[in-house]
Amino acid sequence: MRTFSQYISDLLKGISSLLKGLGVTWKEFWTKKVTRQYPENRDTLVISERFRAELVMPHDENNEHACTACGICQMNCPNGTIRVVSKMIETEDGKKKKVLDKYIYDLGMCTFCNLCVISCPSHAIEFSNKFENATFTRDKLVHQLNHEGSKLREKKKVVKEDKE
Amino acid sequence: MTHYSQPLEFTGLTRWFDSALRSVMPDFWAIFIELVIVGIALLATYAVIAMILIYVERKITAFFQARIGPNRVGKYGIFQTVADVLKILIKEIIHVNKVDKFLFYAAPFFIIVASMLTFGAIPFGKGLQAVDFNIGVFYVTAVSSLGIIGVLLAGWSSNNKYSMIGAMRSGAQFVSYELSGGFALMTIVVLTGTMQLSGMVETQRYCWNLFNGHIASFVAFIIYLISGHAETNRGPFDLPEAESELTAGYHTEYSGLQFGFFYLAEYLNMFVIAAIAATVFLGGWMPIQIKGWDAFNQIMWYIPSYVWFFGKTGVLIFISLWVRWSFPRLRIDQLLNLEWKYLLPINLVNILLMVILVLSGLTLTQIF
Amino acid sequence: MEKIKQIILDAVKEAVFDDKEKLTVTVEPQKLHFLLQTLHDYAELPFDYLVYLIGMDWGEKLGVIYLLSSSKDPSQEIIIKTGTSDRENPLLYSVTDLYGTAHFNEREVYAMYGIRFINNPDMRRFLLNDDWVGFPLRKDYDADPALNPVSVESKDIIDTAPRIVETPDGKLVEETVNIFEDGDYIINIGPQHPSTHGVMHFRTSLDGEVVKKIDVHSGYIHRGIEKLSESLTYPQILHFTDRLDYLSANINRHALCICVEKAAGIEVPERAQYIRTIMDELNRIDSHLLAWSAHTNDLGATTAFIYGMREREIILDIFEKVCGGRLIINENVVGGVMFDIYPEFQKDVKAFIPYMRDKLKEYDRFFSHNVIALGRMVNVGVLKKEDAVSYAVSGPAGRASGWSCDVRKYNPYALYDKVEFKEIIRTEGDSYARYMNRLDEIEESLHIIEQLIDNIPEGDYCAKTKAIIKLPEGEYFQHVEAGKGLFGVYIESRGDKTPYRLKFRSPSMALVSVMPLICENEKISDFIGIGGSMDYVIPDIDR
Repeated sequence: MRTFSQYISDLLKGISSLLKGLGVTWKEFWTKKVTRQYPENRDTLVISERFRAELVMPHDENNEHACTACGICQMNCPNGTIRVVSKMIETEDGKKKKVLDKYIYDLGMCTFCNLCVISCPSHAIEFSNKFENATFTRDKLVHQLNHEGSKLREKKKVVKEDKE
Repeated sequence: MTHYSQPLEFTGLTRWFDSALRSVMPDFWAIFIELVIVGIALLATYAVIAMILIYVERKITAFFQARIGPNRVGKYGIFQTVADVLKILIKEIIHVNKVDKFLFYAAPFFIIVASMLTFGAIPFGKGLQAVDFNIGVFYVTAVSSLGIIGVLLAGWSSNNKYSMIGAMRSGAQFVSYELSGGFALMTIVVLTGTMQLSGMVETQRYCWNLFNGHIASFVAFIIYLISGHAETNRGPFDLPEAESELTAGYHTEYSGLQFGFFYLAEYLNMFVIAAIAATVFLGGWMPIQIKGWDAFNQIMWYIPSYVWFFGKTGVLIFISLWVRWSFPRLRIDQLLNLEWKYLLPINLVNILLMVILVLSGLTLTQIF
Repeated sequence: MEKIKQIILDAVKEAVFDDKEKLTVTVEPQKLHFLLQTLHDYAELPFDYLVYLIGMDWGEKLGVIYLLSSSKDPSQEIIIKTGTSDRENPLLYSVTDLYGTAHFNEREVYAMYGIRFINNPDMRRFLLNDDWVGFPLRKDYDADPALNPVSVESKDIIDTAPRIVETPDGKLVEETVNIFEDGDYIINIGPQHPSTHGVMHFRTSLDGEVVKKIDVHSGYIHRGIEKLSESLTYPQILHFTDRLDYLSANINRHALCICVEKAAGIEVPERAQYIRTIMDELNRIDSHLLAWSAHTNDLGATTAFIYGMREREIILDIFEKVCGGRLIINENVVGGVMFDIYPEFQKDVKAFIPYMRDKLKEYDRFFSHNVIALGRMVNVGVLKKEDAVSYAVSGPAGRASGWSCDVRKYNPYALYDKVEFKEIIRTEGDSYARYMNRLDEIEESLHIIEQLIDNIPEGDYCAKTKAIIKLPEGEYFQHVEAGKGLFGVYIESRGDKTPYRLKFRSPSMALVSVMPLICENEKISDFIGIGGSMDYVIPDIDR
C-alpha cells in the first residue's frame, strides 16, 4: 500500500512540477521580447564608447596626426598586425627627420588586445567603435590608417590630453 | 431538431456542384471528376496547413523564448515559410553513397502517404469530409501508424549509425504509445457507441465527450494528448531526432525535398493528432450548443463549422507547442517507463471506469 | 613540511632538495614512482592530487615536473622533478596508476617532448597526430612547415594504441593494444556534433543505447599557445589567456597577471584589485550561466538555453562598457586593469544583482525541480570523491563530489580573503549536484559582488610598470579558481622578457579525462547530459 501511495504522490509531484514549468513559459509568452532588430535600429543603437572594432588614427582639421613613426606599436603587437613604414625627409632647417610614410593595419589579423594603443607614447592611435567592417575580400581588411598627404602635428599644437 | 440558418457553410455549394455535374454527364464521370477535385483540394489544404503551421510554430516558439521569431520576409515574416518551401524545392537532393537506394528514396513517401491518408478522413466541417467511414476512429489509428514504417526504413537504409539509433528508438516509442493512444480513443468509443467520426460529432451536439464522461473522459483526453504528442516525435518525446544527441536522428542523411517530406509530415501529424482530439473529445466542427437556447444556438451557427474545427484544433496545437518548448527531453527508458508503468495501467483502469459509467448511467447526458 | 622532507628522504635517499619557496625535490626516474607512491599513500596528509604535470626541456635534460597537492589540504604543495638526458629515446615511468589525471597529461608530454612513459596503458600522442614530425616544445624543434604539410586527405582512424610495459623481471616490452573489442558498434560523437561543446571527438562504443567505452581524441583546434608564448613578451602573452577557456577569459588573464606581478614584485593598486575581483565574479556568473544553458540544451530544453543567454547578455553588456570586449574582454594587464570602470558601472551591476536573483528563482521553478529534468540528472554520471581527486576534477564538478577544492578559499588571491562567501559543496557527485552547484555559485558570486561594489576605493587603477617586463630567474606558479575549476599558470623564467617555459593548467582537460570513467554503462543520452554537466570548453584543452 505504501508503494501505491508513493506511486500516486510521485505522479502528482511530477505533474505539479511540470505545471510550474509551463507557468514560466506562459508568463514569458506575454512578456516583452528582448530581441534587438539590428539594421533597423541603427539610429538608436548604442555601441559602448570603449568597444574595440578597428584601429584608427585620428587626424585633425589640418590633416595632421600624432604618429612619430617610432614603431613601438608594431613591436608590441603580438601577431604582426601593424606595419609602420617610415621615410627620411629633410626639414626646412636642413635636418634629417624620420616621418611616417604609411601606417598599415591588417584588421583581419588583429586580436583587439589594445596593446598598441596603451603602448603608444604619443596617443596617435585609438580604437573606434564602428563595428560594421564586413567586406567581401580579405585584402580589403588591410587599411592604411594615415590619410593621403597628412603630416605630423607640430609639438606646440599638441593638446595635453588627460590620460584616460 | 430545430434547423438553424447556416449562411457560410459549404454544404449548399457542394450539393449544387454535384447536381450540376450529374445533369451534364453520366454518374461515373461526375463521381470521377469529384474525386479528382476532392483529392486536389485535400493536397492543397495539406500543403497550406503545413506552411501555416510551420510559421505559427516558429512564431509561438519565439514568443516562448523571449524572441520575436521570423520577421524579415513580409510583414511579421508571414512569407517566411513560403520562402522556405521555395528554397527546399530548388535544393539539390544529395545522393549519399552506400545507402540502400530503393528504401532510402521510398522512406519519405511512406511517411507522407501515411499522414495524407489520415488527413483525408478528418471532418473539417459540416459536409467537409472526404470519406466518412463507419469505422473512422479505427481507420485513423490504423493508417497513422503506417508512418513508423517510413521512419524505420529511413533509419535503416541511411547506413548511418545515428539514423539507426534514431529509428530504433522511434520504433520502440511508436509501438508503445500507439497502445495508449488507441485505448484512449477506445474509451470514447465506449462512451459514444460509434466509431464513425461524423456520428461522434453529432453525439456531441450538446455535451462534448470531454465533459460527458467527466473523470474517465478527462483522463482519456490527457493520455491521448500525451501519446499523440509522443507519436508525432515532438516535444519532450523527440528522441528519434534528439538534436543534441543524434544530430537529426533518422533523417540525418536526407536533404532537399526528401527532408521536406519528413518535415511536412511531422507538422501535419501534429495537426492530425490535434484534429482527432478535437473531433473525438471537443465536439469537432460542431458549434457550442445549449439545449433550448435557440437564439444563442443560432448565433453560434452563424460562425461556420470549419472555423469551429480549426479553432479547437488550434488551441490543442498551441498546447502541444507550449509543452514542447517547456520541457527537456526524456531518456528512452524513462519514455518507456512513462508508457508502460503509468499511462497504460491508468488507461486500462480508465476504460473499465468508462464502461461502468456508461452501464450504470452516470455520464452527464444520462444524468441530466 | 619538515616531516614531509623526512618522508621523502626515507623513501629516496638520493633526493635533492632545492631551496625554493615551495618544497622542491629532484629524483632519478627510477625512484620517481616509488616516491610518488609513498607520498600518495601517506595517511596523515596524502598527496593524492596531481595539480600539474609539466613536460620540460632543460636543455641538457628532458623531464617532467609534478606539482603534488593534498585533497585534505590543497594549500600544501610539493614540486617533484625528474628527467633523463637521453634525447633519442627518452623514457620515464608513468604514474597513471596513482593519478588518473596523469594519463592524458603524459600523452600530451609525449606529443610535445617525445618522452614516453613506461606502463602508461595507452601511449598515443594527445593533441597531435601520430605522424607529426618533431616534438614542438623541445628547444631544438624544427618548425619548418615543409616537415608537417597541411594534410588534405582524410585518414581512417586506427583504433590501436602503442605502449611500453615493464615486465615483472624488469624488461621493457613494446606492444600494441586494441582500444575496442572486435565487433563493437562504434559511433563518432564529434568532431562535428551539436553537443560536444566545441571540436571534440569521442569515439564511443555502444551496446544498444548503453555506452561501453569512450576514447577521447583531442587537438582539432590545437594552436600551440605554449609554444607561441615562448617567443612573446609577458604583456603579449596575456591576450592568449582569454582564448583558452573563453568563458572564464577574465579569470584566466587574472592568473597570468598575478603570476607576473608576484615574480616582478609589482604592487597592484587597491582599486584595481576591487575591479578585478568584481569582474572575475561577473565572469564566473557568465560562465555558469552559459554552462547552465548549454546543459539544459543538451537535455533537450531549448527554451531554457535562451533564457540563460538572455541573462548573460546583460553581463556581456557591462563587460563591453567597461573594457570594450564582450567575450574576449582584455581587462587585466600586468599591474592592474586596462580600463577604469565607467561611471554607471556600480548602478548597472547593482541593478543586475536583484534581477539575477529573481531569474535564479525562475530557473528553479522552470527546470531545477522539473520531474523530467530530475530524471535525467539525479544519480546519473556519479563521480566519486576519490575519482574526482585522482582525476584532478576541481571546480563546481569537484565540489559536487564532496571535495573542498575552491582556490579562493584555501589559497586566496585578490580580495577573496576579505569577502565572505560560502564554498558550495555537495556530496552526491551526480549530474544534478553539479548542476545545482553552479546555480548556487551564481548566488554566492552575487553575494561577493554585493560586498565589494559599494566600496571601490578611489585611486589608480593600474600601477606603473617598466616598458619591458623581465622576470627574475626562477619558477613561478599561480592558481586561480576559474569557472570550470583550477586554472593554473606555470612560468619558468631565465631572466628574459620572454618565458623559457610557460604552461597553462587547464581545468577542462581534467573534466574530459574523467568522462570515459563516469559515462561507462550510462545511456548515450546521458553521456551527452553528463558532458553538459561537466561543462568543459575545448579550446582550454587544445591550448
